[in-house]
Amino acid sequence: MLGKHTDMIARPRPRSRKWFRGEGWTALFFLLPGLIGIVLFLVLPILASIALSFTNWQLLGTPRFVGISNYTRLFTTDPQFWTVMRNTIFFTVEYLVLNIVISLGLATWISSLKIGQRWFRVIFFLPTFTPLIAVAMVWMLIFTSGGLFDSLMAALSLPFSGVLNDRTLAMQAVVLTSIWAGVGYNTVLFNAALDMVPATYLEAARIDGATAWDRFWKIRLPLISPTLFFGTVMTAITSLQVFDQIFVMTKGGPGSSTATLGYAIYQRGFQNFQMGYASAIAWVMFALIMALTALQFWFQRKWVHYDA
Amino acid sequence: MKRSLIFAAALAASSLPGIGAKAQDAPVTLTWQMWGEPNDAQLWQQLADLVTQQYPNIKVQLQLSGWTDYWTRLPVLTASGQVADIVSMQSMRMPNFYSILTPLDDYVKNSDVKVADFETSIMSGLSHDGKLYALPYDVGPWMVFYNRDKFAAAGLKEPAKDWTFDDFKADAKTLTKDGTYGYGTQGFDFIAGPVALGAEYFNSDNEFDLTNAGFVDAFSKYADLTAKDKLSPVFASAADASAASGRFASGNVAMYIDGPWTLITAQANVKFKIGIAPLPRGSGPSRFITAGSGWGISATSQHKDAAFKALQVLSGPKAAEILGSAGRALPARLAQQTAWYDGAAKNVSGTRDTLQYMFAHTTPFRINEKWNQFENLVMQYVPLTLTGDSKPEGVLSDIQSQLP
Repeated sequence: MLGKHTDMIARPRPRSRKWFRGEGWTALFFLLPGLIGIVLFLVLPILASIALSFTNWQLLGTPRFVGISNYTRLFTTDPQFWTVMRNTIFFTVEYLVLNIVISLGLATWISSLKIGQRWFRVIFFLPTFTPLIAVAMVWMLIFTSGGLFDSLMAALSLPFSGVLNDRTLAMQAVVLTSIWAGVGYNTVLFNAALDMVPATYLEAARIDGATAWDRFWKIRLPLISPTLFFGTVMTAITSLQVFDQIFVMTKGGPGSSTATLGYAIYQRGFQNFQMGYASAIAWVMFALIMALTALQFWFQRKWVHYDA
Repeated sequence: MKRSLIFAAALAASSLPGIGAKAQDAPVTLTWQMWGEPNDAQLWQQLADLVTQQYPNIKVQLQLSGWTDYWTRLPVLTASGQVADIVSMQSMRMPNFYSILTPLDDYVKNSDVKVADFETSIMSGLSHDGKLYALPYDVGPWMVFYNRDKFAAAGLKEPAKDWTFDDFKADAKTLTKDGTYGYGTQGFDFIAGPVALGAEYFNSDNEFDLTNAGFVDAFSKYADLTAKDKLSPVFASAADASAASGRFASGNVAMYIDGPWTLITAQANVKFKIGIAPLPRGSGPSRFITAGSGWGISATSQHKDAAFKALQVLSGPKAAEILGSAGRALPARLAQQTAWYDGAAKNVSGTRDTLQYMFAHTTPFRINEKWNQFENLVMQYVPLTLTGDSKPEGVLSDIQSQLP
């Protein structure tokens, strides 16, 4: 018994020593360029930004330690912060719901097609290849006063014009652009998951008299729920960081109606030279993303089914 | 053997700056950070070569970057200790950056540079707390660019130099017809315009005071041109600061406000005759703000004396003539402004008279370290009053509250 025990402990030891003598070092050597890159351009800047968020660094001159005053200022006196926070959450919720619903709908529709599945997948995935900056520029021109969108609305006698200059509609224009650019990724993802659902399950259900709706709701959806969960979490994270569309289309305006956390970081850091303050906002954004992601992981237990 | 040789070479190289500092006449290479388009490079290189012609021991190495990149790179290069010896500076950005520059007053005093040779307003624009931080190459007030053909077709007289806001508005009204607007507004109009009407955006402590009655009133006059009288299209919060120049060039607006630094581009883009007029005044006398750019010496430069020699050439009469006749700049040197009037502005009526009138009526362009932030907020918030969504007072107090 004892002998067996020590044997179990002893066995991995020579293997691990050998590992670090031989291939281990070789592996480390080959990983080194990437590792140096990660430490230099990812780990260090992250650590630096934590430190900076407690200073008043203005890019020029030496930073001075100011304790938590950046954070207290953010939460108590900054007149823009709560607007920015509300805009960010508003955008995330609306974009997330629309993106998931639309991409799931498209994915289901594509997988039901008899012919041309591949073509539709490519068509909807194409915007994902396009740089977001370029997409946003084209949509900005469409939405600009007197642009294509305005003439379209006039032709349909709808009362929407100059949306980018409208406090409530500007954000909707940003959401629409983001949907156009981002929905293809989830569509392809969900479509692949739907295709993995065993046809035998669906066939059996059909024989038992389940309607198409039942089959979708009770068989396909639970079976693709892990993919759906992955898509939701990733989409939530990227939409909390929204920046490019805002930067190109509205610059946070009109007023502060489209200013989000991502844009606020850029504005404070690189336009107003308040690097310390911008770092503090970045860490608030990090905390928000962490919290919402944790929440999603918590909720997944209720609706995500892993096929054991 | 080889390794020790390299080591010796490295040792020798690392001790070079010390030797250089001792011997004044040793050749130096100065770095010069400048903004510009790739097709400007040749012009700036010409100026750099001018330095070497005069001082064979001084070589100037030009580092060109785009306008927006320049202002992002400058603080980053400074923070990492890599700022160039000669730093280009715009008067409106001076409050953010004077700390990285060397005060030039002592250098100027011990040289042949005469402060009186330059336009006064730009010398104060490149100073901070009474110290001069850069020598200017160009200067210019904001003024009204107008379409002379449209004025003639509408039977309007050319604007007088001391025209009032009411004259301006009446002309804009006459010119607004057949789908074209009399005026194309953009962000900076809401700063230069109210000042010309006699309003102040600062209090006596050099802090923003946007909600004073005078400024609100003057600001509203400009906002109403779009919001109430519909004499101008609305600009978007993401529009760049020169949004109206494109509409002007395509003939969709008859007047817009810009500076002489864009005249050469404006002329190249239009198929009609351009006129320029001062900004309209209020009930009081005219007053105009000017801006301009120049070159300073970085506070950490190892070759300050050589850099000042180079600076004298770069901001000297010969360089001013080159820039003026190429149309790149209305020279800050008064004597060389002729090069610009006779060259770049040859086909624009009344340029010399108008600008001389404007220089005679300049008011200091008051700026503090929050200026950049203020300009961005103007772009972001002004569209709300142009669409009639918010009242000018509300917008101004929103901007004010975000400039603590």
